[in-house]
Amino acid sequence: MKEKVLALLKDEFPEIDFESSCALVDDGILDSLSITGIIAVLSMEFGIIIPYEEIVEDNFNSVDALADMVERLRG
Amino acid sequence: MIFTDYLFFPFVLLALLFYFILPLRARWIGLLVFSLVFFCTWGLDYCLVVLLITFIAWLAGIVIDSRNHTRTKRKNGEASETKSSLEAGESESRRKKQNRIILLVSAVVIILVLVYVRTQQNLIAAGFFEPVVRTVSGWNAAIRGWLGTIPYLGELVSGGKGWNTALFQWIFGFKNATDKTAVVQSVVYTWIVPVGISYYVLSLIGYLADIYWKKQCAERNYFKLLLFVLYFPKILEGPISKHRIVGPRLVEGHRFDYTRVCFGLQRVVWGFFKKLVIADHLSFLVNEVFGNYQAHVGSEFLLAAVLGTVQLYCDFSGCMDIALGVSECFGIQLEENFRQPFASCSVAEFWRRWHITLGVWFKDYVFMPLVISPRLMRISGFLRERIGKRAGKNFMTVIPLAVVWLLTGLWHGTGKNYLLWGIYWGALISLSTVFDPEIRKLTKWLKIDTDSEGFRFFRKSRTFCLFVIGRFITIPGSLAVSWYTAQSVFTDFTPLRLVDGSIFTLGIDWPRFIVTLLAAALVGFVGSKREKGVHIREWIAARPLLIRWAIYYAIIFAVLIFGAYGPGYDASSFVYMRY
Repeated sequence: MKEKVLALLKDEFPEIDFESSCALVDDGILDSLSITGIIAVLSMEFGIIIPYEEIVEDNFNSVDALADMVERLRG
Repeated sequence: MIFTDYLFFPFVLLALLFYFILPLRARWIGLLVFSLVFFCTWGLDYCLVVLLITFIAWLAGIVIDSRNHTRTKRKNGEASETKSSLEAGESESRRKKQNRIILLVSAVVIILVLVYVRTQQNLIAAGFFEPVVRTVSGWNAAIRGWLGTIPYLGELVSGGKGWNTALFQWIFGFKNATDKTAVVQSVVYTWIVPVGISYYVLSLIGYLADIYWKKQCAERNYFKLLLFVLYFPKILEGPISKHRIVGPRLVEGHRFDYTRVCFGLQRVVWGFFKKLVIADHLSFLVNEVFGNYQAHVGSEFLLAAVLGTVQLYCDFSGCMDIALGVSECFGIQLEENFRQPFASCSVAEFWRRWHITLGVWFKDYVFMPLVISPRLMRISGFLRERIGKRAGKNFMTVIPLAVVWLLTGLWHGTGKNYLLWGIYWGALISLSTVFDPEIRKLTKWLKIDTDSEGFRFFRKSRTFCLFVIGRFITIPGSLAVSWYTAQSVFTDFTPLRLVDGSIFTLGIDWPRFIVTLLAAALVGFVGSKREKGVHIREWIAARPLLIRWAIYYAIIFAVLIFGAYGPGYDASSFVYMRY
């Protein structure tokens, strides 16, 4: 799952280095606009609904965290 | 009472004294009492409104939270149930979610209505609806002249007794409507200050939304929630705190810490320096130029807009320094509202550094919920399939941005100029996001080193200029004057007016003008150091005793000697208090 998520994100956001940090939000690499794009891409690609409760820094701080969230929401 | 009142400093010292002599567990009660006293200086009726609003939020929070937990219990028990009972459980869960939404929306609407009613009452009193009344009561205008139709101001000039005097006396509750001091105090304390109610209202809406989204539990103790609402350092201009972050810090007892109190007081003095030495002096110039715009030329408008930008920054960030400094003395850390905004390379970055807590509020409670709304997601998916990936992604960004910036504009003011201001910023951020790939390609094609100091300086200057243009929309007060002044910059620039000494007649004389500019340069220098990671307070604290105290005395005496107060001055209210 991690590889799939990473490939998808690299394709959509070539300007962002997702592997450079484990604190993408806290380090300011991701802002609300890029998070918006990530939500859109993941929702459409994996057919999931990301509830508001899941939109917390911890879930967007790394590719691992994003992959975990996708797996959790896919059930 | 506001931060620039003479009584404020003794009030803070007394509050600190009481706070630290109370037992640790009861210290929050001392804070609550002092916060209530602070708020009551604006009028008992406002206090009652806030008590009621807090009560509604407290009750709604508990009810929503209890529904959250009921739902969780059912969900846990569902595992062993049959398919039909699972479906029944799903429908029950949906019904409960709907109930929670109804509860949340009802509580928010009631709170907003209470604030609205109170504000409208004040606006009527302050003459906001005078044009409407004047149209209806044309005869009144004909008889008494234009000036006489403005409530209480007309009375001050003519000394007459009309319906407006009666209304004014009835609302403000004092007999002598011609008492100028009473008039000014009434306008400040009963109109300007309570409109600042929006800061705690936003905090309370955020609190309820966080409970709804299960990001926090409801506060069971009404008085602890009341302290969160009324905490006096943040009641004037924020920061717009999150209860789940600041709430526990407020009720936790903090021990006296000499270094922390010293650092806090230093920050307070720095805040007064920004407010009294820079912002209030510049306000004379800005008010003179834009208030008396027919007498001025384009170059003066441009100068006033640039200095008006510095004024707004020093005014608002100065107030935040005072608020955060006072709070630091108590050991309570509040959220930062500014992070060197003029070091931003883009407009989106600027709004992540300027009025940070308002931006976070809109992001958390408007932008993100819109982004994840199923309807928007469906339209975005449709566009993605039919037009392309980029269209879907841009739609998901631009629509929530448009809503957020329209609301941000309206939050700052209901006039057309604020609406245009919101559209201006929304359009800038949307365009820079949508065309980001093209901008990257262009800079690459032009072989521009985007990491070079020169290009970064260009980007910072561009952000500053865009902010100054935004000030042209809001400072003049109406779109017609905004248009006139902006047009003058191109049609009647007359640069000689900037060098022939005329600028020293615009509200401040040349010595104060020079001092103000030097002080602004000092603020800029400190900001640039902070941007590089140098913490000035720690740096000063590490200097030898003599140098350290020389710096402290220099700042204190600068405030005392060059501050805009004393005979002939009236310390201005903080600009952002009106929002």
